[in-house]
Amino acid sequence: MKEKIIQIMSEICPGVDFATETALIDDGLVDSLDIVNIVTELMDVFDVEINVEDLLPENFNSVDAIAQLIEQLQE
Amino acid sequence: MAFTSWEFLLLTAGAAVVYYLLHRHTQWPVLLAASLIFYAAGGLGAMVWLFAIAAVTWGAGLVLERMNDARKALSKGDKAGQQRIKRRKKAVVAVTAVLCFGLVYVMKYWNTTVALFPAAVERVLPRWDFLMPLGLSFFTFQSVGYVIDVYRSKYAAQRNPAKYLLFVSFFPQMVQGPIGRYDALAPQLLAQRSVDWRMVDRGIQLAMWGYFKKMVIADRAAVVVNTVIGENCPYGGAVIFVGILAYSVQLYCDFSGGIDITRGVAQIFGIDMAENFLRPIFATSLADYWRRWHVSLGHWMRDYLFYPLSLSKPFAKLGKWGRHHLGGLPGKILATSAATFVVYLVIGIWHGVNFRYFVYGIWNGSLITISMLMEHRFLAWKQALHINDKSRGYHFFTMARTWLIVLFGRYIGSSPRLLVALSLMATTILHPVPSQLWDGTLLNLGITGTDWAIIGLGTAVVLAVETFQERGGKVRETLERQNGFVQWLAIAVPLIVILLLGVFRAGYISSSFIYGQY
Amino acid sequence: MQPKRWFLMFCATAAALVLALMAFNYVTDPFGAFGDRFFQWFSYDETNNPRVAKVSYLQQHHDQYDSYVIGCSSSSSLPTEALNELYDASFYNMIMYGADMADCEKIANYLLDNYQVKNLVLNIEISDGASYNTESDPLTYGLHHLEDPDLSAFTYYTRYLLANPRYGYAKLQSLETDTILPQSFDVFDEETGTYDKRVRDVEPIGNLETYLAAYSDFTTLDQSGTVGLYQTENCMKSVAAIRDACAAKGVNFVVVTAPIYGAYFNKYQPGSVENFYTQLAQVTPYWDFSCSSLSWEPRYFYDATHFRNCVGEMMVARMAGDDSVWMPDDFGVYVTADNVSDHLAGSLTAQPMDAAENSAQVPILMYHHIVEEDDGSGSVTVDLFRAQMDALLDAGYTTVSLQELADYVNRGGDLPEKPVAITFDDGYASNYELAYPILRERNMKATIFVIGVSVGKDTYKDTDHAMTPHFSYEQAAEMAASGLISIQSHTYDMHQWAPYESGDQVRENILPLPGESETDYVAALTEDFTTSRDLLEAATGGPVTALAFPTGLYTTLTSAVLRDLGVEVTLSTNPGVNTVVRGLPQSLCAMLRIGVDSETTVEALLASLQP
Repeated sequence: MKEKIIQIMSEICPGVDFATETALIDDGLVDSLDIVNIVTELMDVFDVEINVEDLLPENFNSVDAIAQLIEQLQE
Repeated sequence: MAFTSWEFLLLTAGAAVVYYLLHRHTQWPVLLAASLIFYAAGGLGAMVWLFAIAAVTWGAGLVLERMNDARKALSKGDKAGQQRIKRRKKAVVAVTAVLCFGLVYVMKYWNTTVALFPAAVERVLPRWDFLMPLGLSFFTFQSVGYVIDVYRSKYAAQRNPAKYLLFVSFFPQMVQGPIGRYDALAPQLLAQRSVDWRMVDRGIQLAMWGYFKKMVIADRAAVVVNTVIGENCPYGGAVIFVGILAYSVQLYCDFSGGIDITRGVAQIFGIDMAENFLRPIFATSLADYWRRWHVSLGHWMRDYLFYPLSLSKPFAKLGKWGRHHLGGLPGKILATSAATFVVYLVIGIWHGVNFRYFVYGIWNGSLITISMLMEHRFLAWKQALHINDKSRGYHFFTMARTWLIVLFGRYIGSSPRLLVALSLMATTILHPVPSQLWDGTLLNLGITGTDWAIIGLGTAVVLAVETFQERGGKVRETLERQNGFVQWLAIAVPLIVILLLGVFRAGYISSSFIYGQY
Repeated sequence: MQPKRWFLMFCATAAALVLALMAFNYVTDPFGAFGDRFFQWFSYDETNNPRVAKVSYLQQHHDQYDSYVIGCSSSSSLPTEALNELYDASFYNMIMYGADMADCEKIANYLLDNYQVKNLVLNIEISDGASYNTESDPLTYGLHHLEDPDLSAFTYYTRYLLANPRYGYAKLQSLETDTILPQSFDVFDEETGTYDKRVRDVEPIGNLETYLAAYSDFTTLDQSGTVGLYQTENCMKSVAAIRDACAAKGVNFVVVTAPIYGAYFNKYQPGSVENFYTQLAQVTPYWDFSCSSLSWEPRYFYDATHFRNCVGEMMVARMAGDDSVWMPDDFGVYVTADNVSDHLAGSLTAQPMDAAENSAQVPILMYHHIVEEDDGSGSVTVDLFRAQMDALLDAGYTTVSLQELADYVNRGGDLPEKPVAITFDDGYASNYELAYPILRERNMKATIFVIGVSVGKDTYKDTDHAMTPHFSYEQAAEMAASGLISIQSHTYDMHQWAPYESGDQVRENILPLPGESETDYVAALTEDFTTSRDLLEAATGGPVTALAFPTGLYTTLTSAVLRDLGVEVTLSTNPGVNTVVRGLPQSLCAMLRIGVDSETTVEALLASLQP
């Protein structure tokens, strides 16, 4: 799943090393536009519903965090 | 009560003394009293609207919390019940938002809107001639943000109406924000604390910095802007460009200066407010610029408009449609771009009901969409041209590119009408008349050569300080490490500069003028 | 540094700065708010704020006055000296620009409550019906807290202690550039309280067109007719209050309405002006000077709402019933409730004065040395001179003395149909030997300007170098005794010829020497002129009231000093024909002269006499 996520993100935000970064939001590497693009793509690909309430920096700071969020939502 | 009045300084000083004398007791009523005095000084009539917004949002918070509790009480399986409560909650938020923003709209724009109608209709429609309450849109945004957060169960509602009123009306932020978040601001407002001298000192320093930017730089630049930018501008393009530069300097120094005063005064009371400007001069793209300019409004728009809008059902459908029919990157970002346009349109309309702000919104939305679309291509170009995007030169290039884009937008922002903006742009490019830059024209724009020098030097000081900060420097901490004399100089020099070049900049009438050459 | 120490240091620095500001404002006192203890420069302070500074001045000097003029700036030219004579009093002119009747009522109450007052002259202007108690810049237009019951002492002192220090700084700068004559920063005369108009009172005034071109105020007046006199009622309430306060204290209360340029009335709504004056007459009788035939002659006004000092003299003369001062017949009427409507019907429709009635075109010819035979020096030959005199007579001209011009302007005298004045500069013996006989034969008048130091000499004063001979005091006396020739001043010794002077500084003309201080210059000029005058008057017995500027040059200060010394007529060498105006002494300043030399044919001379 992580590879899929990285692939999605790299397409939207080229030039960021998603595999290792852990402060994507806090460091401003990914901004709100990217987040929404990523989220809609994730919803499409993984067939989950991500709510506004879930759009917290801690959920998107790293690929691990995103994967965790999706797993949680898939339950 | 303007920030630049003696009354404001006296109110702040007086409130601070009482506030800290009461440090063994409940202190927040002091802040509320000061806030109400501040607001009452602007006219008792305007207070009605403050109380109205506070009452509506406070009530909405309580209702929403009760619904949240009811929803929790429901069993997880009761999908129908969940949905019912969710619908009701949505209705509460919608009614609150319509009431609040409806008031802002009516207050700010009703009469302008009426004037747009044909004369026959205009005569029938009633006019709205109430005094525009101070800071109305700021405290409305702040209150509605609170309601939405309670809706999202982010935190519990405030039950005490007086405490809530303080959150809505805290006086330093009344004039121009920043738009605070309840979970960050309210606990600080309501906390009990004894005096932290370090915090007080830094608050004073920050406020002085704000006064310097506002009174020494911005108020001078404003004179130039008022002379140059307007209908039937008689100047050549070069002077117009100087006017636009002056407008940029004025806008930034006035707004960020005001915010610094706000944050400085809040710090005197031990309260840390969020930054509202993150040195926008160093922005490397338009999107980056909007992240650094008026941060609290940007965050508000993101959290309460952009996110919900782009994740809403209609936009989700639009996204699906895009992915199917357009494919590729354009298809993927279609929905987001549409939401971006809406956000910038709202920001535009918030500035004023005028076609030029509509264009301003389109301009910002388009550029940001284009840059999203082009991001891959830019990367490819950079590789093809062997540009090192980590190099200083490239960094500066991106900054300069952003300045140009922002300056272009400034033409629209500063002009009274879109046509004026377009004609100013055309003149800038087609009839620059650069000789006006040195033939004395600049000295006939309402300010003297000395004033120009003060604007120039002042702006240079601001840039130097911001460069230092951008590189991670901490101005006040650095100052605190200096010896006593230097620290004293850092008090005396700014005070003298603010007093002589700021406070006493205007309000002097030369005797030959008084006498009128009779 | 400990944070608490920093905070204390900040407070101390801020307090020190505020105290320094207060101290600076107190010491420089640019508004005279604290009595100007250190500079005592009230003419400056009053310019910044007459309301405040005049009260401060009176606090220190009220024992010198027992009567007051109050009103807005159009009262400034009410001459205190003439009023003193009329009422046997000592007047102080309390004028304050922009003062409305709300101000006047407060000022009147202040004067009546605090000082011994014998007479109170209130000037009312039509604009008092348009504005009443309006808001304006408190620093420059606010009243003294002693005058204004609505202004607390605290507000007053904080206002002036925390005032913009640029005012005080400007005062210090002005100290450096202060001159004897008023500048824009010291427009008041401290002792009388009036505007110091010495500069405008010696400006040469000639024909109307030139005057209108110089002061566009008269032609650009707002003619809209839309300004309403909505404050008339408030204004009259204040006038009545002042009247009653004066009556209660037994103070002589006199109301005048100052002359205003006629076109100025056009900006007010039709009917409102009549209403204003009718209401005023109900409240108190008043001397109305506001509109008459004089109002339509711009040259009697500094600008549309400020009449000249010379008109002020006419006003007081009318009030005193003094006939020796010229003025138009319809100028100045004592208006009561009974005659107000008749009076208004006439005064508001007054027609401009007939130019032929109150002004005359006077060419003045300028000769120097006369020679028997043409010597190529340009000097007029005796034959040409004779021909020129005959031609003047044939053309119907009558020669006049400068004294006659002064009488026409200042004392209601008359001038002949086609007046011309003949003048000779320097006092050459040839004037006595060659010109005088020709003039005597024809009974023609002329004026000779002699240089005191060269009278009777044919060598330069400090050297034996020969010069054209000059006639003696005896010869001067002889000519004067004929009643045809007037001997006037060309200075005593301010017309030197550099090559033949021994001193290191040479006065070639009446201008100040390079680097000479104003006080030294005034002293030198005064000394020189009085010497010249005393010697001439001793020799000829006639008064010396005219001076021709050597080489034609002069400064405003020169004119002002000479005016103070009693000189009525000054002459330049600028060409042209003069327009002299009755009641306007400025039409005798730096008068134009037509230079005549050996090239001037009779025809050319006659042509140049045409205005």
